[in-house]
Amino acid sequence: MKCAECKESLVAYLEGLLAEDQKHAVTEHLKDCHSCQAELKQLTNLQERLVSNGKAATRSDLENQVLNRIIREQKVRLKAAEKASEGLKLRRLIMKNPVTRVAVAAAVIVVAAIGIYSISEPAITFADVVEPILTARTMIFDYIVGDEQTGSTITDTISGQRIRRVMANVPTMNMIIDLDSSKMLVLDDSEKTAAYVDIQGQVQERHQSFVKFLRHVITKIKDNHQELGEQEINGQKAIVFEATGPNERVKIWADPETAAPIRIELTLGQMFAVMKNFQINPPVDDSLVSMDVPDGYTLAKTDLDMTDVTEKDFIESLRIWAKVIRDGTFPDEISSESAMKQVPVLGAKLTALNLSEQEGTQMGLSFGKGMMFRQVLETGGRQCHYAGQDVKLGDASKAVFWYLPDGSDTYRVIYGDLSVKDVAPEDLPK
Amino acid sequence: MSENDKYYIERCLDGHPDDFRYIVRRYQGVLLAHLAGKLGSRDRAEEAAQESFVRAYFNMNKLRSPGSFFSWLLGIADRVAKEHRRKEMLHQQREVIRSFSAEAAGPELSQDYGLEAAIAELPDSYRRVVLLRYYGGRSCSEVAQQLDLPLGTVTKTLSRAYAMLRKSLQQPGETENCEVQK
Repeated sequence: MKCAECKESLVAYLEGLLAEDQKHAVTEHLKDCHSCQAELKQLTNLQERLVSNGKAATRSDLENQVLNRIIREQKVRLKAAEKASEGLKLRRLIMKNPVTRVAVAAAVIVVAAIGIYSISEPAITFADVVEPILTARTMIFDYIVGDEQTGSTITDTISGQRIRRVMANVPTMNMIIDLDSSKMLVLDDSEKTAAYVDIQGQVQERHQSFVKFLRHVITKIKDNHQELGEQEINGQKAIVFEATGPNERVKIWADPETAAPIRIELTLGQMFAVMKNFQINPPVDDSLVSMDVPDGYTLAKTDLDMTDVTEKDFIESLRIWAKVIRDGTFPDEISSESAMKQVPVLGAKLTALNLSEQEGTQMGLSFGKGMMFRQVLETGGRQCHYAGQDVKLGDASKAVFWYLPDGSDTYRVIYGDLSVKDVAPEDLPK
Repeated sequence: MSENDKYYIERCLDGHPDDFRYIVRRYQGVLLAHLAGKLGSRDRAEEAAQESFVRAYFNMNKLRSPGSFFSWLLGIADRVAKEHRRKEMLHQQREVIRSFSAEAAGPELSQDYGLEAAIAELPDSYRRVVLLRYYGGRSCSEVAQQLDLPLGTVTKTLSRAYAMLRKSLQQPGETENCEVQK
C-alpha cells in the first residue's frame, strides 16, 4: 500500500468502516511508515477533541428550557388570538346588519360610559404623582376595565371639558363627550353616521366626578399615601404609591424623576381597572373633540334617553340578560366586565330575533343602561348582592339581587320572576 | 433516536408540543456547537439555541419538507446568531462610548470554542457532516442516510473537513504534506 492510498483510508479506518482486507493492509502499512503514523496521530487527536466537545455540548439541559419557553409563548399567543377573535366577532356582528349595528352600538356606548368614571367621593390620598394629570389641559390614556389580558382597551383623549373615546374592539365607533353641554356625539366611521345623545343625569355626573376626583386627589396629596418603594415596570423604573379608602384602592406607578404617571390600578368595589400609556399635555387638534357632525356624515335621528337610570332599568337589563342572552337562566355574575363581554352575544341574539331597528336599539340601550344602575350601587359602596347563578327566569321563590337604597332601613329584593319586595335586613336570604 | 424528524415534526403539528423535546434532544448538541462557534461563548450559544428552537417550533408549519429540517434549523440559528451579534456589537459600542475607552472589547472567544469557531467557518456541506457526526451523535452511516449521501462521500468529506480544521487550528506539529481542500 502506498502512503497516499493509506492516508485516504485513514478516516474510514478510524471509523471502523473498512473491509477486513483493507483494514489489514492499512495496519501493515502503518507499522513501517512514520509519516502515516503521524497523520493518524493528528487525526486521532482532532477526533478525540471533537468527541469530547460533542459530548459536552450534548450534556445540556436545553430540552426543558425550550419546552418551558414554548409553553409560555403559546399561552401568550393563545390569549392574543382569543382577544383578536373576540374583537373580530364583535366587529363582524356590528357590520352585519343595521339592527345589530345600532343595538350593539347603543349598548357599547352605555357600557363604556361605566368604567373608571364611576368614582364617588374618593377618600383617597396620593403623592405628587397626580400633579401632572391635574394640571394638564389635554391628556391621552388607555384604560381597561376588568382583566388586563382579555378586557377591551378604551382610549380617552381629554381636552378641557371634551373627551374623545374609542374602544379597541369597536375601532370605527367614536364617542365625543362634552361635559359642559352634557351631550355625547357618536360617530360611526364605517357607516358615516352621527348621533347626538343627551347624557344629563347620572351618566354626566359620572364623567364629572372623574374630573372632580382628580381635583380632590390633588388637594389631599400630602396627607395619607403609602410609598411602596421602587419597582421596574415594562423595563422602566417606577416609584409606587398605594392608597386605600373604604371602598377603593388605588395603586400608582410613576416616573421617579419626573413624577409622570406610568400606570394606575383602580379597585372600586368589585370592579378593577387599569390606566396606562399616559400622555400629558399632548397637542390635541380641536377637530378631534369637535361636537359638530363631520362633513360627509349623516345625522341619525335618535331618542336615546340617557338622562336617568332607575331600578326599573336594572330589572329590564336583568330580563334581557336572562331571557335573550342566556335563554331563560340568570347569568353567573353581572360585573361590568362580563356585561361588556355579553355585548356581542346580545348582538347575535338580536339578529336571530329579527327585530326592527327601533326595537333592537331599544334593547341594546336598555341592557347597557340598566347595568349602570348596579355600577352606581357598587362603586358607591352601597350594599348590594347578586345571587342569580342558576336561577331560572320566572322563579318567584328565589332572590336574584338585593340592595340597600340610600337612606333606607329595608332592602329592595328582586326575585327570579323580576318582582320586587321591601325586606328587613334580618329577613334577607342567606 | 428511532423515529425520524418527519415523525416528530408531524406530531408537533398535530398538536403534541411535548414531542418537540425529542427534536431538541436530537439537535441540541449540533446547534450549541454551531452557535458557540459563531458567538464564542457557551452562555450566548445556549441563549441563541433556545431562541432558535422556539422559533423553529412556531414556524414549523412553514417547513416545506420535513426531511430538510436540519438545514432549515441551521438557517434559523444563523439568523438568530446574526441578530445576537448585532445586539452585542451595539452593546459594545455603547459601552465604549460610555467608558471613553478606545479599546473595543472584541468578542472574547474562549479557548474552548476555537474548535467550534473553526467548524463554523467550514463550507456548508462539510460543516453539516462534522456537526451531525460529533455533536449530533450520529455514526457515519447515519449521517449518510440523513443527508442522503453515499457512505464513501461522508468519509471523504470528513477527511477533507479534518484537513481544513487542522489548518485553521494550526495544530502544533502539523505535517507539511497535509492536503488542504479549498
